[in-house]
Amino acid sequence: MTQRWMRGHRRARALNSIGVWLLSSVLLIWTLLPIYNIIRVSMQEKEEVLSTSVFPVAPSPHAFEVVFRQTFWLLETFWNQMGNSFFIGIVVAFLTLAIGTLASFTISRMRIRNGWMLTNAALLTYVIPMSFLAIPFYGIMGKYGLTNNPLAVIAVEVTFATPYAIFIFQQYSASIPFELDEAARIDGASPPQIFFRIYLPLMAPALVAIGTYALLLSWNEYLYAFLLLSGGKVVTVPVTLGKFLVGDEAPWNYLMAAAIIYAIPPLLIYYGVRRKMHGGLTMGGVKG
Amino acid sequence: MKHITRRRALVGVGAAVTAGTGLAPRRATAAGELQVWWTQGFYKAENDAVIAWMADWEKRNNTKVNLTIMNGPDVITKLIAAMQVGDVPDVVHTVTGDRFLVPRAAWNDQLEDVSDVVESQKAEFTETALISARLYNAKQKKSSYYGVPTKASSLLNSLWLPLIEEAGFAVTDVPGTQDKFYDFFQTVQDKLRSKGKRIFGLGYSMAAKEADAGNLFHQFLVSYGGVGIVTPDGKLGIDDPAVRKAAITSLERLTTPFKKGYVPPGAINWGDVDNNNAFFAKQIVMTPNATISIAAAQMDKPDLYYKEIITRGPPLGNDGKPVASVLAIAPTIIPKGSKNVDSAKALLRDFIQPANMNAYLKETRARYLPVMASIVKNDPYWTDPKDPHRPVAVDMGLVKPTVPWWMSYNPAYSAVLSEQIWPQAAANITQRGMTAEQATEEAAKRIKQLFEQYQK
Repeated sequence: MTQRWMRGHRRARALNSIGVWLLSSVLLIWTLLPIYNIIRVSMQEKEEVLSTSVFPVAPSPHAFEVVFRQTFWLLETFWNQMGNSFFIGIVVAFLTLAIGTLASFTISRMRIRNGWMLTNAALLTYVIPMSFLAIPFYGIMGKYGLTNNPLAVIAVEVTFATPYAIFIFQQYSASIPFELDEAARIDGASPPQIFFRIYLPLMAPALVAIGTYALLLSWNEYLYAFLLLSGGKVVTVPVTLGKFLVGDEAPWNYLMAAAIIYAIPPLLIYYGVRRKMHGGLTMGGVKG
Repeated sequence: MKHITRRRALVGVGAAVTAGTGLAPRRATAAGELQVWWTQGFYKAENDAVIAWMADWEKRNNTKVNLTIMNGPDVITKLIAAMQVGDVPDVVHTVTGDRFLVPRAAWNDQLEDVSDVVESQKAEFTETALISARLYNAKQKKSSYYGVPTKASSLLNSLWLPLIEEAGFAVTDVPGTQDKFYDFFQTVQDKLRSKGKRIFGLGYSMAAKEADAGNLFHQFLVSYGGVGIVTPDGKLGIDDPAVRKAAITSLERLTTPFKKGYVPPGAINWGDVDNNNAFFAKQIVMTPNATISIAAAQMDKPDLYYKEIITRGPPLGNDGKPVASVLAIAPTIIPKGSKNVDSAKALLRDFIQPANMNAYLKETRARYLPVMASIVKNDPYWTDPKDPHRPVAVDMGLVKPTVPWWMSYNPAYSAVLSEQIWPQAAANITQRGMTAEQATEEAAKRIKQLFEQYQK
């Protein structure tokens, strides 16, 4: 009886493992296939991009060369636009961190009365989808003369990233003992000193996580970038990539090569700070 | 270090916020500087032509022009946002605006009346161009010119001669009437498949998005006698038995080849560019296209341009009589709220001088047609008999009969196109198993609802 049960149990475990492997394989293929296809198309000539061949027909780095040298007319300011994406991404990350940490410090460490209301009110902004606010934002930026100015996109992105930042920072800071602040205060430290010398260093994992989140949010932004910015030298890369898809003849190989190059910086950033990022996000998640 | 109390910190923050919000709103645009939004061209030369012309106008008129070139759908989205908040550019050229935005914007009194601009060249414009630009303003209760006709396009068919020949046919075997023409490519597919080639005979979009699927449906509709779907007085004709029959036949004729496997299955999700790509990849033998851009893109490859790609206009009706082409007229508009209406009108008046229009349109490689017959008459470029494509497009758009898109008669039809009602009806047949009659009935119900919103 026991032997038979053991055999059945082993068989069930084996079947379970096979199932897990099968499912994992399907998911892996499902996830990687589009990425493979992007690479395949980027390595083919324009005429071959729709070929049904699984492997690139006469693979060549020609499309990457075109992007690097900006020799295709839609890509003639590609590096300029890459710089715009960087500028907007870095400023958004910096401002989100600055506003988020200052707000969370004020609410959770200086214990202002009804501070929780501020956090909840900020989170309420997520009830309205980002796209619904496009027209009001466009109007506000127009009134302040900020259309066609990267500051407009920065302002919008910071607005959307900050509530989440405050929430995560507040949750994370709950894990930092108050005794540290009190000890510093007894030693004569002012609130700014506590903020810079105690609070910020201990918040490092959360700062990395939220900084990366804010940077990626603005890096991939299309709607507000195209709505608020105009002109080849001011727009970001996603807006230019969108221009490839409206002609009667889309050079998919250049589009894919540009997309791959554009994806490299966030990938490097993500894998560079991955460990710290997980720490920051999970810490924020378990404290309530 | 000075001790900062909580109260002092909060007062500081409050003061900063007050100072920030107290900033007086100001506009980005300098007074007198013309803001122009222009639809991106398909070729660099097309954009360059606009940029050069604007720079020249700037010099001649001592007025700064701030030109922004955007892709087609983005122009419309951005313009809607701009009109909503009242911060509009001075001049906008939108290629699909005639179908998706301009008639409704005119109805809602969101556009400047540009009659004086149109009048300056009225004798030059074709009749269809003038009809398309004359729209009804429900607020002011008048019809007037709310767009300046800029360029035209109608549906053409691109065919691969080598594939037709590989199937054992000659170009002279391609039939000239509606049903026989489209059936022919099914036979070509059968022949090619028997040789082991996985090629589709027909390559048209079946997707309920963008413009291609709607363009083809409406050309079919006219071909089968449904031109009266909206009458010139703006009345909906969907209950007219001839129109209803034409709609049903059109849907049947479009969906049956798809169901039988003569159209690539992926066409259910094709964007406007995908039929071109499938054609270039020789996955399809023929494809309908709103312009001659397929051939024009291959102009630098003489073998392809002159020998292998054939351009044909819409076939004759099944009765052998010519069928009018549905002619789209891309307008240039001045949104209401423009701060430089006079300069904007001066710019447009200059732009629509036949010589200027001709120079610009030639840079599009004739992808778009002039809206003035004299341009074609006076410049042999347009009718060059050595060119196998351009004269075909000119013939269809400027010589043979044309009809305007129906939103010129009633802006409700612009909503019909925006909602993709007819491509959706085709999807109801191919995806939900409806009959053509049921799909037409459902489409008709929604169209009637939309028309109720636009009663004069």
